[in-house]
Amino acid sequence: MWLSFFTPDLFASAIRMATPLALAAIGGTICERSGVVNIALEGMMLVGAFFGVVVTLATNNVLLGVGAAIVAGVLLSAIHAFASVTLRMDQVVSGTALNILALGLTGFLMEVIYGHPGATNGIQHIIGPVFNFPTGGTGVLATIWTWIDQIVFSYTPIVYLAIIIAIVAQWAMFHTRWGLRLRALGEHPRAADTVGIRVQAGRYSAVLISGALAGLAGANLTLEQVGVYSDNMTSGRGFIALAANIFGRWTPAGSYLASLLFGFAEALEIRMQSFQSVIHVPVQFFLALPYVLVVIVLAGFMGRAVGPAAVGKPYEKE
Amino acid sequence: MPILELRDITKIFPGVRANDGVSLRLERGEIVALLGENGAGKSTLMNVVYGLMAPDGGEVFVDGAQVHIKTPRDAIALGIGMVHQHFMLVQTLTVTENIILGHEPSRFGVIDLVSARSKVSDLSTRYGLKVDPDERVADLSVGMQQRVEILKALFQGARILILDEPTAVLTPQEVRELFGVVRSLVAEGLSVVLITHKLDEVMGVADRVVVMRDGRVVGETTPAETDQVGLARMMVGRDVVLSVDKAPSKPGETVLEVRDLAVLDDRRLEALRCISLVVRAGEVVGIAGVDGNGQRELVEAIVGLRKPTSGSISLRGKDITHAAPHATIHAGVSHVPEDRQRRGLVLEFDLAENLVLGDQSDAPYASAGIMHGRVIDETARERIADYDVRTPSIRVLAGNLSGGNQQKLVLAREMGRDPDLLVAAQPTRGLDVGAIEFVHRRILAERDSGKAILLVSMELDEIMSLSDRILVMYEGRVAAELSSEEADAERIGYFMTGGSNKDGAPLQKPATTVAEGGAS
Ligand SMILES: Nc1ncnc2c1ncn2[C@@H]1O[C@H](COP(=O)(O)OP(=O)(O)OP(=O)(O)O)[C@@H](O)[C@H]1O
Ligand SMILES: [Mg+2]
Repeated sequence: MWLSFFTPDLFASAIRMATPLALAAIGGTICERSGVVNIALEGMMLVGAFFGVVVTLATNNVLLGVGAAIVAGVLLSAIHAFASVTLRMDQVVSGTALNILALGLTGFLMEVIYGHPGATNGIQHIIGPVFNFPTGGTGVLATIWTWIDQIVFSYTPIVYLAIIIAIVAQWAMFHTRWGLRLRALGEHPRAADTVGIRVQAGRYSAVLISGALAGLAGANLTLEQVGVYSDNMTSGRGFIALAANIFGRWTPAGSYLASLLFGFAEALEIRMQSFQSVIHVPVQFFLALPYVLVVIVLAGFMGRAVGPAAVGKPYEKE
Repeated sequence: MPILELRDITKIFPGVRANDGVSLRLERGEIVALLGENGAGKSTLMNVVYGLMAPDGGEVFVDGAQVHIKTPRDAIALGIGMVHQHFMLVQTLTVTENIILGHEPSRFGVIDLVSARSKVSDLSTRYGLKVDPDERVADLSVGMQQRVEILKALFQGARILILDEPTAVLTPQEVRELFGVVRSLVAEGLSVVLITHKLDEVMGVADRVVVMRDGRVVGETTPAETDQVGLARMMVGRDVVLSVDKAPSKPGETVLEVRDLAVLDDRRLEALRCISLVVRAGEVVGIAGVDGNGQRELVEAIVGLRKPTSGSISLRGKDITHAAPHATIHAGVSHVPEDRQRRGLVLEFDLAENLVLGDQSDAPYASAGIMHGRVIDETARERIADYDVRTPSIRVLAGNLSGGNQQKLVLAREMGRDPDLLVAAQPTRGLDVGAIEFVHRRILAERDSGKAILLVSMELDEIMSLSDRILVMYEGRVAAELSSEEADAERIGYFMTGGSNKDGAPLQKPATTVAEGGAS
């Protein structure tokens, strides 16, 4: 039984599930490092998922769909940036408002465009895996190859892109001018101001980047994983991403690895559901698993988490 | 032609004219000292020059040409550098990162850390500002942070250097080094505006002195034309007694007893090694020592901010070794922390709120969990008047007070609580001469009314003029205990730097009666 439980595609599925979490989490990391709390990742992911499908259905071009998802995320984040950086609104309030707006807007447009609530039609071709190597055969070598193929070569483009983004962002945060200034902004914006860094511009760009990444996460969900959009389909992933950012201690690589943990829980949840006949536990238990894991990890294992000192505080001169 | 000239600068805050038509001139290669009482408007004026505050009127000229400085970027581009009264360093970044921030040497956006580090170490050797380029700023002493701030300004290419109370947090040794650096900078053609409350420093380094009061320039002089008493009179507008007279102490029962205390510092190294001391009612015990010899950890352990690893602390016989900070407050301990912004105040709270911190849930300020605004406000007004905190109202946020007035606010709260034991770390940091006189008298009055006072200070003069007994700390131990009669700067200095009374190293003045204190 354990052999058929821990198959290579369980791990592959973990990486797939981790991808939208990781993209949004890295966005959250960048945003919070600049000093702006972003609890609107959920909403940004949702509009990304929705507009990705809408544009793909309308143009039959999935690349345009991905572009639309990113643009939608960026536009929503622009509102967040304006509210929290320019208007110096409370960032949690702004984020909450945007989550509600995203939910309402997608539901409303669903009715307007498709005339019914629930789910859209499926897109014609979801984005397929990048590589397609032949598998099969018997023997040890074939088994090893199957594992490698599944775990390394079975993914769609955004999954690989997310890994690249995690590595590049991690490197950039600690080796580039952009990264140094970003870290200074969230830690002590006034100090950054006194050395001539534009605090507001820096925060704007960080919030917009987080919107783009969350939008891309939405595209991954609909255009690479599911193929349709259904109401509120992100179902809290934006918040799990926020937790992954914290668990990853506000670093891109850490965010990715933490997302991997939560992604694994999701993969496990799905796998266990198919073993329900053997394990005899109510399905709700499995569904709750990733969320329970988040609570356990954040409350129990992580120890003291210290975020950027000035996160959540609007910057005012004088 | 002056390198920097200010004409009629005016800056108005709600309820205060912080600068009221201020004019100032700085020649090339000159050191101008800017003096004035707490709240006179010195920092405000310099913040205007540095582009951090927009003036409501006036003009600024650099090299004879009028300039419009709207942001620090503009100021830096004009060659103006500023070391702020409250440091502007990012604690989580390294020394090098802080220095290059905003002016990073980089190729295609990638920081060239090798060249950054070598530029930093070039500057640091050239001006004798020793720093470890890879250390995190959070782990540095304030003196080190000060150096980082100056290096940062130099790295940005400053020709005009503004130093806002650079010596308030330095040890006497560091002050000497700093002024050595400042002189070598001036020799290289830099011009310096120095804000300070220490009149001996002014007499020592300044070429010219400008004095402000209530937002205006009230006088200008040179060290040759005046002396410290004259400067103090110009600043405060009355004669200031620069030394205090105190009656002999009449110590009573033991209030604080620390026995065999061992404490770890932030890096988990032993900061206190089996230290024992006693403070009795009606006496001031002064702790002298070079910064970083365990004074901070001793204070934090007593007030409940740091857990001792062994030993005990008791207050009037009651054990408070593991008491939380609020419990020590209730037990009768007041604490003036060395860093007013980090530990003393909530900068986003107004003055009345800050003045009841620690007592906010007790009578008469609250009952049954409800705070009594009117009582709080009344007490706040009284204390603000009592301690001469310069502010238009009690609704002002603490962060908007001038540095010295923030310090007075902390003192007003902690001394106003009527404690059994007052633990005061650097109580006069950043205060003007008039305010220092006031605080010193106040501390002695508390002593005479039977309070026990533990005073930690880097100002040897302060320690010597207030203390009845002086403990010199060295490497986490009490190196010597001296009575106020036998203490002089030389002898304290000897023990501060590791001299001991056991190995018979010759003192310049032979020790007569050195109590065995704590070399145990
Ligand atoms: N951001 C602000 N908002 C409101 N009032 C302010 C602000 N900054 C300064 N002030 C007020 O302006 C006056 C001058 O303050 P400033 O900080 O320039 O004094 P200072 O001369 O530097 O005093 P100190 O020696 O205590 O540092 C004070 O009354 C202060 O309360
Ligand atoms: Mg000041």
